[in-house]
Amino acid sequence: MIRELSRPRLVWDALILLLIVISSVLVTYQFAFDQAGALEGFQFLYLIDLFFLLDIVFNCVTTYRARGVEILDRKQCTEHYARRLLAVDVLAAVPFDLLAWVLIGNGHLLGGSLVLALRLLRLLRIVRLFVILKRWEAFSWSNPSVLRVIKYFVSILLLIHWLACFWFYSAFAAEFPPDSWVARAGIQGADAVSQYVRSLYWTITTMTTVGYGDITPGRTAEYILSGFIMLMGASLYAFIIGSIASLLNSIHAAKNRHWDRIESVTEFLREHRAPAALNEEVRNYYEHVWERHRGVDRNQMLDDLPPPLRLSVLLHLTAKIRHTVPLFKYSSELLRDALLTSLESRTYTPGSLIAQEGDRGNSIFFIAEGTVEIISVGNEKSYGTLSEGDYFGFMSLTLGERRTASIKALGYCEVLILNRSRFNQIKEVFPEFSAVLKKVSAERSEQLSELVMEGIVL
Amino acid sequence: MEIKTTETGDVSVLEIQGHLDTNTSPEAEASINALIEGGTSKILINFATLEYISSAGLRVLLATAKKLKATGGDLKICGLNDTVQEVFDISGFSSILAVSASQEEALASF
Repeated sequence: MIRELSRPRLVWDALILLLIVISSVLVTYQFAFDQAGALEGFQFLYLIDLFFLLDIVFNCVTTYRARGVEILDRKQCTEHYARRLLAVDVLAAVPFDLLAWVLIGNGHLLGGSLVLALRLLRLLRIVRLFVILKRWEAFSWSNPSVLRVIKYFVSILLLIHWLACFWFYSAFAAEFPPDSWVARAGIQGADAVSQYVRSLYWTITTMTTVGYGDITPGRTAEYILSGFIMLMGASLYAFIIGSIASLLNSIHAAKNRHWDRIESVTEFLREHRAPAALNEEVRNYYEHVWERHRGVDRNQMLDDLPPPLRLSVLLHLTAKIRHTVPLFKYSSELLRDALLTSLESRTYTPGSLIAQEGDRGNSIFFIAEGTVEIISVGNEKSYGTLSEGDYFGFMSLTLGERRTASIKALGYCEVLILNRSRFNQIKEVFPEFSAVLKKVSAERSEQLSELVMEGIVL
Repeated sequence: MEIKTTETGDVSVLEIQGHLDTNTSPEAEASINALIEGGTSKILINFATLEYISSAGLRVLLATAKKLKATGGDLKICGLNDTVQEVFDISGFSSILAVSASQEEALASF
């Protein structure tokens, strides 16, 4: 079985994507500009066909996703493919033109060679192009906006090419009457490449509504075709401009929202005549939050996730502190998971107070990142620092006393907070929690007892 | 708060009843200091009838332990109820203060 999102499949798809574009450009080009070449022209198309025949085999054994689950059963995968795209892929891959040539020789169809008309069946490969791009959207590395840009560009370039071919073919099929655009431009005898360039040039000027008027329709059919292309060009033009604008916006959506927020906050502070230093501090805070969280509210994002997924994300986010914070180190897996889902994360800016002297403690604070200082604001005394892995707040919480010192963030600090009700809840459900806390505090008993001796309650 | 002092061999056993908090700690510290100054070097504090201990009470215990250690003596504690035991555990004191389950056990450990 070939996994739908595996690397080999990805590389193969990229190759197929390229071959789709090449073959769909070539068959239409040959049909419109190189009818004389017939079967002899562009024979390497048959080599490309081999790749597509191989692709059909691969598709039969490639897994697919149904309701978010990857189906790995071979029979199911083949059936799924047979029901949906097998017929189209077979029509597009099997060289029917070659079969027709062998069986009945070249004939006439659509005013041109039968063999070349049958070659046009390869245009059905475009269906596969969209299947591949859709599959790529499921890749975690892929940027949906970028993929959409690629899709637009490829579609538009192909459309322009096809219209150019059709525009020329309309005159060719009528055998270049004197009032046809090809005869009036005097290029019916020119080489295929310059005919193609002229035709392409006319399509682009018409579709982009530039319309120099150097090449104009002459016959009724050409007028109708021109009108159609103009209409399509005008609406496509509006669509492209709109899409590109919204794409550019969506590529940097998060960053733009971040700047918008900073701007409105700055505006607010200016309105209230806040000093420049304060303004600077607020800006720095937002920059820090952006650097760390990319504009995502961590707590809200976690709330949005279903509990098992939330836990997996939390386990990843806390991978580093899980090994440094003694609380997690000594906990059983179940207790650790309960703690992780109960902790609330907060960011503190340099100099801000995390816990204040005089408060009655309601939470335990675990420092996930940064350093904090224990200070007494009243007599401006420092009682040392706590850093990553340390925690505070339990004395005030368990003794029910007011804090006698404050905790100040020295740099940017990420703190995990366990509030009283969660603390009690966990203590009740997990009797081992008390033993873990005992073990944890035993490691720091010296510092803790020194603080108590100094009369510090945190 | 009430303190009952009894002598068992060379160990002074203090039974502290009620609340050991900011208001009562100085009194408790004073009576312990009086014992130490009177030449006692082995003190056992029984908390079986203690209802509440505050940080000030914890400070008295730490200070006593420190003083006794300096003079070659020893402080033992016993009879903690669940709440007080939790305070001891969570503040890390059960690892620096010698805590026993019963008075007999504590006496035997001197």
